[in-house]
Amino acid sequence: MKQLTELATPFASIAENKQLVGADLVWLNDLRLQALNEFDQNGLPAKKQEDWKYTSLWALTQQEFSHNAETSKLSTSQCEQLALLKECYRVVIVDGVFSELHSQIEGLQKGLTINSLSSGLDHVQSHLGQQIDIEKSGFNALNTLLMNDGVVITVDKNIKVSKSIEILVVNTGKTDNLATHLRHVIVLDEKSEATVIEHYVALTEATSFTNVVTEVVLAENAELNHYKLQQESLNTTHIATLAAKQAAGSQWKTNSISLGAKLARNDVHTQLLGEQAHVVMDGLYLPINEQHVDFHTRIDHVVPNTTSDELFKGVIDDKAHGVFNGKVIVHKDAQKTDSNQQNHNLLLSRSCEIDSKPELEIYADDVKCAHGSTVGQMNEDHLFFLRSRGLDEVSARSLLTYAFAVEVLERIPAKDIREALSAVIEERLPQGGK
Amino acid sequence: MLEIKNLHASVDGKEILRGINLTVNAGEVHAIMGPNGAGKSTLSNVLAGRDGYEITQGTVTYKGEKLLELKAEERAQRGVFLAFQYPVEIPGVSNIYLLKAALNAVRKYQGLDDLDAIDFLTLVRSKLELVKMDEEFLHRGVNEGFSGGEKKRNEILQMALLEPSLAILDETDSGLDIDAMKTVSDGVNALRSSDRSIVMITHYQRLLDYIVPDFVHVLSNGQIVKSGDKELAKELEAKGYSWIHGAPEGQTA
Repeated sequence: MKQLTELATPFASIAENKQLVGADLVWLNDLRLQALNEFDQNGLPAKKQEDWKYTSLWALTQQEFSHNAETSKLSTSQCEQLALLKECYRVVIVDGVFSELHSQIEGLQKGLTINSLSSGLDHVQSHLGQQIDIEKSGFNALNTLLMNDGVVITVDKNIKVSKSIEILVVNTGKTDNLATHLRHVIVLDEKSEATVIEHYVALTEATSFTNVVTEVVLAENAELNHYKLQQESLNTTHIATLAAKQAAGSQWKTNSISLGAKLARNDVHTQLLGEQAHVVMDGLYLPINEQHVDFHTRIDHVVPNTTSDELFKGVIDDKAHGVFNGKVIVHKDAQKTDSNQQNHNLLLSRSCEIDSKPELEIYADDVKCAHGSTVGQMNEDHLFFLRSRGLDEVSARSLLTYAFAVEVLERIPAKDIREALSAVIEERLPQGGK
Repeated sequence: MLEIKNLHASVDGKEILRGINLTVNAGEVHAIMGPNGAGKSTLSNVLAGRDGYEITQGTVTYKGEKLLELKAEERAQRGVFLAFQYPVEIPGVSNIYLLKAALNAVRKYQGLDDLDAIDFLTLVRSKLELVKMDEEFLHRGVNEGFSGGEKKRNEILQMALLEPSLAILDETDSGLDIDAMKTVSDGVNALRSSDRSIVMITHYQRLLDYIVPDFVHVLSNGQIVKSGDKELAKELEAKGYSWIHGAPEGQTA
């Protein structure tokens, strides 16, 4: 109760006055009541919680947010320009609301469904809320309480989705201090394959709050390539939970790139629940100015013979602050687990900060687990070499920064996505990098 | 081309170069030999513009310009090239990207447009042949996983492409077996011309059997203590460096 009263925005009461998605569904109402109860008790996380010790939410709690977006205008050509991929199924959410006008989801291949949250709820009743924990994270409770839109994707057994699916979330800046609570659910049935990219953009530097939960369910031998590019306004607070459950033989490749937001917090979590399940969990963060980017990852090896490969890289400049906290938990029965976790950081200024905290908890005795964490500066020998070949200092630094970051991008199998994301990173570097 | 007068340089307050005098004319090949710690690498780094050296006295004139006042990249753009003793590995920067960026930086200074992709590739291929490198090397990270010989050939490839006026080869023979030495030397010899000067810095005489210098200088304790022709190198090979100390030219005995 105490924390809740400190919030400038009365989130819990908004749930009562608002026409929420699926309000007539009994099962969803039950879930919401639980969430309300949790949120009433615990509120938003406090800095004294171990998981939040490097990230202060004080500024967020002092802000007032609006939950009603004014009608916004986004031209289809504008939307086309914002999109990362040209050839794809595209679902567009404008200021927190699914936009049929901007989306391109007609003529879907057989066995694939793509819906807004409101029309897709029936497809995912048994999955929604099952991947996340509302007890521990106030934001997950808040999202469960207030989720008003999002995207539901299902892929049937044996179906290989031929085109990538881009979830494009646009904040037009029309509504000041807009808060959006999005819930995406991606369910892949046995032996199906899909590629999904979540893409968050803003048209202006408006202040906003994006609270998103993405749930991923992979049945046996399903394969999901999942990417997330977050490039919103530098006045945004972006809080995200990305959580998966993986059955036997399933493969999840996920890569989160965090660029824009005053404060970005990403919790990425998977549970490897069947043998031969494999996860590649990658990420790249490049905070500048006074940005704060926090990645908390967790991989649970629950059963024997599962593998994980995790690579997070950070390039931190100016007065920015990066946080990486990566947990790998090998449960008691999870013999023959093979896990590798790496976090490498490049500091570009004297005033920036990184907190890198790899954590390994092993309760089995026959496992192979490696982890490494480094923090370094630009290599002066490399810099001199490039300058001795005629590159000016800014270009040389930019090229070396790109070279550091590109390892994460090179692990992306889809060429169009890899190239599109590389271009975004290049643009972020001084003088365009490469 | 290059005129070094009374050059003194220190690192962390310790004087390494103690009054170097050297004149290199266009088209000449000079070898600078000397024992470990004589200041050979300091000289090449100072000429190429690496940070961390304090020039306490002296001047270096390159094509009429005060070389020491130029940044490393400005020297490179004007045709100064350093082939490194220990070429760095840079994963994430492809060799071909480096070559293109370097060539275009030099061309930009010369007032020329960037080469288009096809002309560039044609040019690079002809240079690859010179150093007997496979095209596959273009697409790997700069020197990433290259053997010692491949790294040195890659340096000569960069030199061949950039066509410098003054090439400084810092211990280019170190770590090379005879075959690699021959390939590298053939590459360098092919680049000898009347408008290009080469300064070879080496500990051993053997490189000079392959790249025959016009002049040989002995660097000892931060000064050039003896100069001569290629016969001097043979004498050094036979007698070692110790006899130089105390020779009339040597002021550091």
